[in-house]
Parts: sequence; C-alpha cells; structure tokens
Amino acid sequence: MKLLALIKKEFRRFFHDPRLLLTVVLPGLFIFALYSVIGSAISGNATYEYNVYVVGQSQVVSAIEATVKESGSTVRWLNGSEEEARKAIEERQADACLVFSDQFDTAASGAQVELIYDLSNEKSSAFSSVASPVLHAYGMRFSFVATSVTDEQNFGREVIANMIPVLVVAFVFSACMSVTLESVAGEKERGTLGTILATSVKRSQIALGKVIPLSCIAALGAASSFLGVMLSMPKLMGMNLATVAGSYGFVSYLFIFLLILSFVPLIVSAVTAVSTYSRTVKEASGYTSVIMILVMVVSLVTSFISAGDWFVAVPVLNSVLAIEAILRGNIMVWQTLVSVAANIVYTALLVLLIARMFSSERIMFRK
Amino acid sequence: MSDIISQDSHSFFKQEVVRAENLRKTFLLSRKQQRLEKTNAKRKIAVDGLSFSAFGGEIYGLLGPNGAGKTTTLRMLSTLIRPEGGDAFILGHSICKDPAKVRDCIGFMTGELRLEGFFTPDYLFDFFGAMHGIDKNALHERKEMLFRKFGIDRFREVKVSELSTGMAQKVSLVVSIVHDPEVIIFDEPTNGLDVLTAKVVTDFLAELKAMGKSVLLSTHIFSLVEKLCDRVGIIIDGKMTAEGTLEELCGGASLEDTFFRIYRGIKGDTL
Ligand SMILES: Nc1ncnc2c1ncn2[C@@H]1O[C@H](COP(=O)(O)OP(=O)(O)O)[C@@H](O)[C@H]1O
Ligand SMILES: [Mg+2]
Repeated sequence: MKLLALIKKEFRRFFHDPRLLLTVVLPGLFIFALYSVIGSAISGNATYEYNVYVVGQSQVVSAIEATVKESGSTVRWLNGSEEEARKAIEERQADACLVFSDQFDTAASGAQVELIYDLSNEKSSAFSSVASPVLHAYGMRFSFVATSVTDEQNFGREVIANMIPVLVVAFVFSACMSVTLESVAGEKERGTLGTILATSVKRSQIALGKVIPLSCIAALGAASSFLGVMLSMPKLMGMNLATVAGSYGFVSYLFIFLLILSFVPLIVSAVTAVSTYSRTVKEASGYTSVIMILVMVVSLVTSFISAGDWFVAVPVLNSVLAIEAILRGNIMVWQTLVSVAANIVYTALLVLLIARMFSSERIMFRK
Repeated sequence: MSDIISQDSHSFFKQEVVRAENLRKTFLLSRKQQRLEKTNAKRKIAVDGLSFSAFGGEIYGLLGPNGAGKTTTLRMLSTLIRPEGGDAFILGHSICKDPAKVRDCIGFMTGELRLEGFFTPDYLFDFFGAMHGIDKNALHERKEMLFRKFGIDRFREVKVSELSTGMAQKVSLVVSIVHDPEVIIFDEPTNGLDVLTAKVVTDFLAELKAMGKSVLLSTHIFSLVEKLCDRVGIIIDGKMTAEGTLEELCGGASLEDTFFRIYRGIKGDTL
C-alpha cells in the first residue's frame, strides 16, 4: 500500500511535468531528425561518378543517366561481361551492372533487365534507388529484377547485430539518467527525500518506490529513442528493416525483450545508488557519467573480445553479447536465461544497498 | 487559590511523553570543518550526556546559543540520526530500538525537511497520510478539518511552489501532523521567517497545545520561550544546565538575565 503510493507519486511527478517528460522523449525525436538529415545528406547532395557496367543494349540507359544528372552526379558506363561486372562490384571497383536481354528495346515480349548491385555499399545502394524507379516506369514492357551481390538478410542481420545492442545500452542509459538524477539526487538535495525518511515507511519500500517507477519511465524513454532509429533507418541505410525484422522468430523477440526488461532496472538502480550516495545533483551526474563511459566501453568492446561462458556473470556485457548473438540468428538459451537471472540478482543487491544507504545517517543527513 | 490547586494536582498526574537519558552524539570533523572550528580535534562533541523530560499537554523549550546541540538533540529524538550513547523514549518507545514506532507518534518540523514544491497541498496530505498508513476515510475527514481550520481550503489545488511563504509554511505544518501525532518536535520554529509567517507558526503551536498535544521545540530566542513554553531546559555545550518551569528558573527575573547568569557561571565572563 505504501509502496503503491510511492510509485504513484513518481509517475505523477513525471507525467504531470512537461519539462521532465520532454527530457525523456526528446532524444527519440532528436535521433529521428538527426538521422533523417544525415540520411538525406548522404544520398542527396554530394556529386559522385557512378561506375556502371552495361551488358547488352537499351535506350533506357540514357534515361537513367539523365535522372542521375538531375541529382547532381554523373555516370561512367563500362563494357564487359556479367562475370567481370559481378567481380568488380564485389570488390567495390564498380557500383552496379545493368544486364539487358537481346533485342531489349524492340522485342515484343519476354524482354528482361537485371540490376546487379551491392546492398552493403552505400553508393551502389544509392544508384539502385535512382535507377530502379526509372526502370519500373518502363516496366510494362519487360520484367525487372534487382539483385544484390551480398545476401540482403545476412547483411541486414549483421548491421542490426552490430548496431542495436550498443544503441539499447546508450538509450536506456540516457533515458534513465535525467529522471533518476532529478528524482533521487534532486530530492535529496532539496530535502524532500528526508521528509519521507522521517515517516515510518520501510527503507526498502522507499528504494523500490524509486527503482520500479524510474525503470518504467526509462524503458519508455529508451523505446522512444528506439522508435526514432527504426523510423529513420530506411532513410539512413537505404534498407528496409521490415524484411530483416520479420526474419526473426518469436523466441528471439521474447529473449531480447527479457534481456532488456532485466537490463533497464539494473542500470536504473545503479544510477539510483550513486544518486543516493551523492550530496548534490552535480556530484551525482559526475559519478553517473563515469558509469556511463564504463558501460559504453563494455558494450563497444564486445566485437574485440572472444567471450567464453564467463561473460554471463558480467553485467552489461552479458546482455549486450546475448542480444548480439540473437540478432545474428543464434539463440543461446542458457546464456540468455542466466544473463537475465544475473541482471535480476544484481538489481536486487543494488536495491538492498540503496535501502541500506537510506538508513545511513552518514549518507542521508550529513552536513 | 482553587486554580493553583487544580493545576498542581493536574501536573501530578501528568504523563511523561518525552524522556531523554544521557544522550550523547559526536561528529567526525572533516579537514574543512576543523579549520572552520579552529580545532585539531578529530571529533566534535555535539551532545554530551543530555537528560530531560517533557510532559503531556505542555510546550517544552530547549533554549541555547548556536552550536549548543539543540538541532542534534532533536534529530536524534526524531530518529533521523542515532545517539552514540544513552537513549530516549517517546511515549515509552525507544528511539534506538523502535524508531518506526517513534516516527508514527511524532511530527517533526525543521527547515531541513521540505515538501516537493511541484505537488499540491491536497496531494501531499494524502501522500504523507499513506506513508503513515492512515485509513482513507479517516484521512479525508482529517484533511477537511485541518484545511478548514488553517485556511488552506482555497489553495488545496495550487502547487506548493506557487503559494505565499506563509501559506506554504501552513501546508508544511499541517502535513507534518497528518497522522495526528501526540508529540510535535519543532527545531527553531521561527528561524528565518518574516513576522507574518512567524505568527502563523506560533499560533499553530498554541493551537496544538489547545488540542492537547505535547510540543518540544528548540530556540535561541528568549521571547519565544516566554510567550509559548510551559517548561524550559537551558542547554550549553551539549549539556543540560538548568531545567524547570519559567517560574522555577527565573523566579521573577527576566529569562534573558537568568540565561546569562547561568551562561557566565559556566563559561566565565568571556561572552
Ligand atoms: N553533521 C555534522 N558534522 C560535524 N559537526 C556537526 C554536525 N552537526 C552538528 N555539528 C556540530 O555540533 C554542534 C552542535 O550543533 P547543533 O546541534 O546544530 O547546534 P544548535 O542547533 O544548537 O545550533 C555544533 O558545533 C556543530 O558545528
Ligand atoms: Mg540548530
């Protein structure tokens, strides 16, 4: 009952204050805006000369060239066989290849054109997105296929596996930081936490009364940032995430969900603990940035270390590695479950520590 | 004549609501504090074997100069900090062994504890009622009664940060007695307040006494003691130096003269 009142108070404080609400939701909007601008800057302004092989012949080529020129770039047409072209594209010597069937422009039926490009090459993808609509516009008379020399699904999974876990960590952290600093260190500095400590409510309930609602709010903030990335992804990467996202099964999503669900309270309770220890918001944000740097380093080093089974015991690292593995397509059941359990145990220990600090006069009531 | 007799027989049956026994508290001094206090001692003795009793239905004043240990004493009694030696009992509950019980039967007011300015009086009253585990219906009734009595009614939905100082102070006072405590502990009730707000506070204390509550306050202001207190304890350097009713202590002299007589007796003529 008392716990419920404490939780409700945090939510009320948060949802009735537009300023606080904004600090949590804003990063998502910001990311969306930023990535969209970067995305269009990459595909838009810079002039570039595309190297494109043509196998066979067609008038369409000049239409494509005209469209490319409109965007401020140029095309150099190369001659060669399809095999040569594929090799050049794979080695990134060329950007794309157009393969026309015989008598393409005059054939009454059965005409074909194939656009070969490389999804993982930014310029190649850009050429594909300029040329495809032009070819589609002629699409009534012939069939058109676009194929990438790299497998779309694997490429997508690789990109996602490298990117998502780091983003999750960064978003969870930044979402929890502003609210937790305000709610714990701020309340301590203003003397409003002391007023609650002067009542008979249990210290462990006060600790939970902070960690539970702040975790929900941090999860909300992280979700908003995440949505920002997902929505701007097509613009940024020139790829459609829906196809990749659809390639993961229910279990993958469940496991990722569990990992994030157990990871958020861990970070929140860590920031709550240092906020409780600190005298002022300023001091707390100093400590918190140190933790943030540590956590970000841990989440970034995953690509350089060969992790053994010991990693499940290391907070942050365990969640990042498990999410990465799942996104690459190999679900590691016991590692995931042990990581989730470890997160819960660490969180519980931190909550106990916070409760201990709440009953310590040296920490709560020093001058 | 009959008046005096009835008063005496009344005090004979008076319940001891606060009993402090040999309270002791020292603080570790940081380098900076050592420099400020001009001392090389590692520890500062703030409260040094303090004992006193306060009785039901009375206002008891702890009077002493700055640094005498008043705040430290009241923080111990309200269980924010723990004594290193001795113990104290509030309505029979030990502050060392049963701090949660003590918290439920006292209201502690001090500049150090504040209300979140973002919330309204109405919400804060309900919230702190819940913190003390008060039943919803009883809480509602008490809220209506206190809000009406102290004129908070019209401002119940205004954020505390947007209230006038006087009204905000009233809200703090009312919220701190949300659980209808028998004993109210108040550190420097009028410190730093403008005259109007100070009057709000002193009227409030008199009102509490009229309701039959016991009040324990600390102050360095003689006139406040003379105006409000039934009994007074003079505390110097963490020790209780004199205690009794104003009559007993001063015997006709002014409280100020009495205080400095006692002070000189301990410290010599160096003021
Ligand atoms: N947290 C603390 N750390 C160090 N010294 C303290 C602390 N609190 C109080 N003191 C010292 O203890 C003495 C008594 O302080 P206090 O109880 O605040 O006195 P009063 O309220 O009577 O002015 C003072 O000398 C003060 O400097
Ligand atoms: Mg004081």
